[in-house]
Parts: sequence; structure tokens; C-alpha cells
Amino acid sequence: MQMLPEQLINGLIIGSFYALVAMGYSMVYGVMKLINFAHGDLFTLGSYLGYTILVFGAGWVTATFGIWGGVIVAVLGAMLGIGFAGLILERVAYQPVYRAGRLPLVVSALGASIFISNGIMAVWGPRFQAFPEVSIPTGSIVLFGDFRITTLKLVTILVSLGLMGLIYYLVERTLFGAAVRASALDRDTATLIGIDFRKIIRFVFFVGPSLGALAGVFVGLNYTRIIFTMGWTYGLKAFTAVILGGIGNIPGAMLGGIMLGIMEALFEGFVSGAWKNVFVFLILIVILIVRPTGLIGEKIAEKV
Amino acid sequence: MSEITRNLTQRISKFQDGKGTPSVDKKTQLILLAILIAVMAAYPFLPFVNNYWIDVGFFVGIYVLLGLSLNIILGEVGLFNLGQAAFYAIGAYTTGILYTQLQIPIIVLLPLSALIAGGFAFLVTSPIIHLRGDYLCIVTIGIGEIVRITALNNPFGLTKGANGITGIGNPDFGIFSITTPTQFYYYVWIIIGLVIIGLINLQKSRVGRAWNYIREDEIAAEANGIDVRHYKLLAFVIGTALAGAAGNIYGSKMMIISPANFTFMESCLIFVIVLLGGLGSIPGTLLGAAIIVIFPEIFRQFANYRLLFFGAALVIMMIFRPGGILPRRRERAGFRGLGISKLPEDENTLLKEVLDSGLSTARQPEAAQEPTLKTKAHVHPPPNGLVLETQRVTVQFGGLTAVSQFDLTIRENQITSLIGPNGAGKTTLFNVITGIYRPLSGKVIFMGEEITGLKPHQITTKGIARTFQNIRLFPSLTSIENVMSGPHCHATNGTIPSIMRSPGQQKEERHILETASFRLHQVGLWEYRNELARNLPYGKQKLLEIARALASSPKLIVLDEPSSGLNDKETEELMEFLTKLIAEGLTILLIEHDMNVVMGISDRVSVMDMGSRIAEDLPQNIYNNPRVIEAYLGKEE
Repeated sequence: MQMLPEQLINGLIIGSFYALVAMGYSMVYGVMKLINFAHGDLFTLGSYLGYTILVFGAGWVTATFGIWGGVIVAVLGAMLGIGFAGLILERVAYQPVYRAGRLPLVVSALGASIFISNGIMAVWGPRFQAFPEVSIPTGSIVLFGDFRITTLKLVTILVSLGLMGLIYYLVERTLFGAAVRASALDRDTATLIGIDFRKIIRFVFFVGPSLGALAGVFVGLNYTRIIFTMGWTYGLKAFTAVILGGIGNIPGAMLGGIMLGIMEALFEGFVSGAWKNVFVFLILIVILIVRPTGLIGEKIAEKV
Repeated sequence: MSEITRNLTQRISKFQDGKGTPSVDKKTQLILLAILIAVMAAYPFLPFVNNYWIDVGFFVGIYVLLGLSLNIILGEVGLFNLGQAAFYAIGAYTTGILYTQLQIPIIVLLPLSALIAGGFAFLVTSPIIHLRGDYLCIVTIGIGEIVRITALNNPFGLTKGANGITGIGNPDFGIFSITTPTQFYYYVWIIIGLVIIGLINLQKSRVGRAWNYIREDEIAAEANGIDVRHYKLLAFVIGTALAGAAGNIYGSKMMIISPANFTFMESCLIFVIVLLGGLGSIPGTLLGAAIIVIFPEIFRQFANYRLLFFGAALVIMMIFRPGGILPRRRERAGFRGLGISKLPEDENTLLKEVLDSGLSTARQPEAAQEPTLKTKAHVHPPPNGLVLETQRVTVQFGGLTAVSQFDLTIRENQITSLIGPNGAGKTTLFNVITGIYRPLSGKVIFMGEEITGLKPHQITTKGIARTFQNIRLFPSLTSIENVMSGPHCHATNGTIPSIMRSPGQQKEERHILETASFRLHQVGLWEYRNELARNLPYGKQKLLEIARALASSPKLIVLDEPSSGLNDKETEELMEFLTKLIAEGLTILLIEHDMNVVMGISDRVSVMDMGSRIAEDLPQNIYNNPRVIEAYLGKEE
């Protein structure tokens, strides 16, 4: 019975990726009430950035800093680069459109998404790219009994959970986090009590995409192959995770992501791989029918 | 029917038949339209147009159909749908499977594909149609993926997986079949022509207006007697059925369909066509589709960068022209929509006179009935003189009791005021009476009939109309269109008569316009009839909201702080106006803070504090009631 723990680990890993991407969606949605369609593509861009750092100079980074050192450089580089890409995205594609209303904002987000994914294709080509083998950590450790887990998988899970914990602390336990949550609840009131709304927007557009970039690099390390369209599938499932957990709610996004990943992995392992995405979107629809506020969301009544 | 109202009716119908003087604007439009049709018809025979460009013309047509189909859902009702390709796919696959497996003729499959796509949409959207915009958007994306993956996985060997279904036949009418590019070109554009005529008729009908009301303000629409759920589903079904028909036409032309034709990118393109052209705009959709199809053809050599430019263009477009290239014009839409393009100055004064005298005759019941649609509420007098009664109504929010065991009685043809300190629960009680909230316990009885738990639009139809504390108009619609929402709930003609413009439907539309004109004039806003509601000053917006409520021919009108924000003169006019309404036979329930208004015009006053009734009495007795004084000023030590 090796299958169950293995699928659980796989589910936990893919769920961590969903959770990391979902947090970015949820933060931006909370503050701006916008589904940032370009978020999934920033995740892809992060993956390609990590890939580029690792192949740079025929593996110079890995050769200089060692395998794990290379991974750290690639992750930090991608996070920083994509954080700034997020800021640019907001400044160029969203800020000038705020006043026009929600629909133009959605279209602008779709446009940005198409632009980024096709920009990636124009730069790196339309085919799969493989992360260089020399840069991918190997080795495994015994978890229990004769069940082994690769070090990379373990690190992926620990780093993802660690970062989620950090963001949770930041958003739920600090004064700055309270400002973020206040802005999400009521922008006008938040501004009135002296919260710099622009600063909050910059924060969510930097931190959200850089979390996505982290997920992107680890996706490349774990599954080796990346393609310019992958942000769409990851993005859609991450958003499903957001709804699963309760929209605009950061702990909900984490929980939703991990649950979705595990459910998907179990379905894939025990039922069918070809139908797993149908299963995921059916979950989405069922959740919205049964509990539209998500697992830990609260009902928001409109004032009449 | 009095002489005067007949006069008004004749005038309006004269305009409606198009015999009134058309404006220059309309003439130019007709000429442009004629040129456009001539060019479109001659297109396959133009010297530089080869088969390749005729096919391009065909594909523009397919995307026009898809754009129009989504325009109903997104443009008219404002429902985010990023999964339209799914319904397009269902139409195409219905055609592909039934043709190859059962040899059903393509032409029979055209309506069948539409029916199945619309039916599927009904099944999947009816449990989720109430969701807010973004949720619906994500669900439609999910539906798009479910359909695409299902087609890819080749269930029961029906969809043939990634390769798709091949060998789909051409449309065959018996006498001749459609095979050449030119024939397909005419085939699709003739269908488009028919669809556009149907859509324009729908836009001008109560169905089209109901869709727009929902887009503008769902809660206000529901409170004005629009069955929001019904009209949302209707738009979804009609829109997706049209996409299904487009799938049939596409399949019969290509003879092969595969999941690659129905990706998320396809849904995005359809979405963008609607936005590019302008929401709810039919010419905009034509232009948007043309751009989306022709633009990539021109930039063929840059195939790899095409979508890159496209993405950037979308962002730039939203920055500089968020309303689309040809946004739908709204000014004068109310009258133009009914064929009344312009009222000349003298005509205007005449009509005004007609309406003025209409107002004075309105006090005689039979005359007042004439321009309005008949309502059940007017027919029977209420039992024991009570129009409305709430019996021990309790509402709780979480642990907080907002309204507690509240009893309220409203007598016929009286003004009853509900007063109380801020937060007493007055508006909550209003929301219970009008059906927006469901009480935890207790009953609401209207005209001797229990209405507790009915939906707001049902309650409006029964004869209770309301205004809102914070004005809720339909901001991007004209004043007259706003008021025309009132008679909607008593009208009966639905989609088919609206598309066909049946005589009954036309008569009913005329009734709606008459009732609305009458009420708009009654509140003194006739000259603003073609102004967008959001452009009116605050005081006039309040009056417009009252006109809209009156236009539903209510028995009881419920006004939430009508005088707030009005100056002294306006308040005085309002009081006078409310008294006139009583003379007309109406019953009024007021929430009011202005004691001059309350004491000046109320027949009864009910006082609420902390959700409970602390007094109900004649106005002069309320002043001296110790409990009322305590509630407002606190207890004397």
C-alpha cells in the first residue's frame, strides 16, 4: 500500500502550488475586487525566470553556488523579478482603468494575461522547456518505515508551508495586515482612517506575484518541464481553490489550495487521470451551489 | 375613455407607427444601413475578393453570431460569461454526432443544436444564476473546460477525442444545398440579418428593458416587479442557443470539428468582441467581430506575435476607450425605441396640456384606470379597511434582533408614518414588507392575503411599490425607461411576441409608455424624459424614483425617507404631491425624520424603537406620548 501515502504527498505538493498561487489571487481580489487573470501568467513567467537563472552561462549559478545554492538564487531572483513585474502590471494595465468600472478592468486583465503568456512564447519559444538536470536536487530520505520521500519534495512542502505561515502571520497578526484586511473590507473607510490605499495595492501586487513565482520555480524543479500556457491551468485551479476556501480570505486560500491538490491527486491516482480536471471544476460548481461563501468564508449581506 | 387620454393615445401611436417626423439622425442612419447592406450583398462579386476572402467574410459572420449571442448575456444583462465557447461546442458536437451517427439532416439539426445548447445552459446555470458576477465568471470558465475535456476524452466513442468528428455534411434544403464559399457567405449573413431583426425587437420590448434593469441594479429591478431570476435564465438560454446555432453552421462549413476549436481562448475572443464593440451595441458587435477575424489575417506574417499585440491592444483600448468603439447610445433611447424619435416643440406643449388635464381627471377612478394597465389590486376593496397588516414580525441578524414582534396596521387611503430614532429597525421592517428580507417569525398581510416570504417582484405585482433610502435608479437608462419598469409586472407579452412584434404586444408596449409618460409628467419630470437618470440632480432623482414606483399602479406605496436631502421648497412640494396621491385613491406608508412632514400629512403615526412598537396613534397625540419622548430624548432623571 505505497500508493495512498504517495498520492497524498503528491497532492500536498500540487496543493501547495495551488495555495501559493491562490493567495496572490485572493489578496488582489480582496483589495481590488478583481480576478487578476494575469496572475497565472506571472506564475509562468516566474518559472521561466527561474529556468533562465539556472541555465544561465551553461549552469554557472549551480556550478558556483552548488545545487541548493543555485535553487535559492533562482527562487529569490524569480520572486524579486516577478514582484516587480506585478507592480508594473498594476501600474500599466490596471491603475489607468480603475475609474472605468469593473468590466473594463476584467478585459484589461484578460489582455494582460494574453500579452504575458504570448510574450513568454515570443522570448522562450512555444515548446516545452526542461529545467537543467544538473540544477535539480537529488537524493531522498526515509520518512517512516520503508517509505522514502525525495529531499526536493520535502523541501517544496516545507518551504511552501513556511511561506504560507509567514504570510498568514503578516496578514492576520500584524498591524500592517490589519490595514490590508481593512482595505479589503471597505476601501473608503480604510482611506478615511489614514490607510494609504496605494501602498496596500503595491503590497498585494508585489507579494502575491512573488509567491506565484516561488511556486513557478518549484513546479519546474519538481516536474522539470514547463510551457508558456501552464499558468492558465494552474491559475484556474488556484482560483477554484480561492472559492473553495472563501474568496478574499487568505487562510481560506491556503486551505482551499491544499485540499484541492489532495482531492485531485487522489482522484487521479484512484479514479482517472483524464477526467481529473472535470472533477476539479465539478467540485467548484458543487461548492458554489452548496456553500457559495466557501469553507471558511462569511456571508456578506448587501445593504438595501 | 376620456377625450383627453384618447388624444394622448392617438398621438403616441402616431409616433409609434413611424408617421411622426423622423429626425435627420435617423435618416442618416437608414442611408448608412442601406449602403452597408448593399456592400455586404455585393461583397463576393467585388473584383479583389477571391474565395479566400469570401471565407473570411463567412468567419466574420460566425463571430458576429457568437458576439451577438454573448451580447445578450453580457451586454444586455451584465452577466459575466467566459465560457461561451462551451455552448458553441455543444451546438457543433450535437450537429457532428447526430449527423454522423443518425444521418439527421444538417438543416434539421440547426434548431436542434440551438435547443440542446440552450437546454444544457438552463440545466447548468439554474442552480448558480443567483451568484455574483465573479463567481459566475469562474463557473462559466469551469463549464468551458468541462465541455472541452469531455469532448477530448471521447466518452462512448462519440466525440472521437482530439482528432474530432469528421465528415459532417453541408446544409441541404432539398432543392439546393449550400456548398460553395459564396453560398455559405450568404447563408450565414441571412441568418445574421434575421437574428439582428429579432434582437432589435427584443431590445425595444419589455423583455429587453427588463434585462437592462437587471444590469443596472438587480435589487431595484426586483423591487420594481422584475422577476430577476427568470430574466437572467432567459438571457442565458437565448444567448447560448444562438451560440449553439453558430456551432451548427460552423460545423457544416468546416465538415470537421475538434476540441481545439473550443478553447478558453475562443471564449475570450467572443468576450472581447462584445467589449471591443461596446456593451449591448449591435453595430459594435459587427465591428468587433470584423476586427477580431480580419486583424489576424492582415498580420499573417507575424503569426507568432499576433496574440502579443492583441493582448497589448486590449489593455490600451480599456485605458483609452473602456466603453468600446461603438457604445450603445442611450439618450432618447426610450422614445426612439418605440419609434418616437423626437417631439417637436409645439407637440411637446400640446402633450403637456394633455397630460396636465390627464392629471386632473385622474381623480375620477375610471379615467385614472385608462392609461394604466389593469391591476388586481385595484379591483377589490380591502377587507375591514386594512391595506396592510404586519403581525408580530421579528427579524434577526446573527444574534441581533432588528425588529421584534412588530405590529403595524395601514388603513386604506391614509398616510401612515413610521418614525423612530436611527437604527430602530424601520428600514428593516420596510424590507420585510417588500419581500427583500424574510422574517424569522410573524406574518405580513396585504389586502387580506398573506404575502410573507413572497419574492419582492411578486409583492410589487400584488400592489406594493417602494422607493429606497439611498436612491436606487437605473443610472444609465433614461428617465422614461426608468419609469417604464413600473408597468412591466402587469404586462404579459414575453419573448416570442416581442420578437414578432405581435399586435397585442405593440398595444401593451403603448400602454406601458402611456402609463410611464403619465407618471413622469405627474412628478414634473416630463422635460427630462430622455435624460439619463444619473445626470439628474438629487431632488429630481428622488422624484423619478417615486414616479417609477407609481408607474406599477400600486395600491400601497412605501417611501423610505422621501424628504431627506430636499430643501424646504422641495419638501413642501413633495407633501402637496403626496396629498394628491391620496386623493387619487392610494395608500402611503412613510419612513420620515422630518417631523414637519410627519405631523403635517400623516393620518396615523407608528413609533419604533429598538425594533419594537412603542406607540401608534394620531399625530397630535404622538408629541405628548412619554414613551416617544423617552425614545428620542432619553429618560428624565
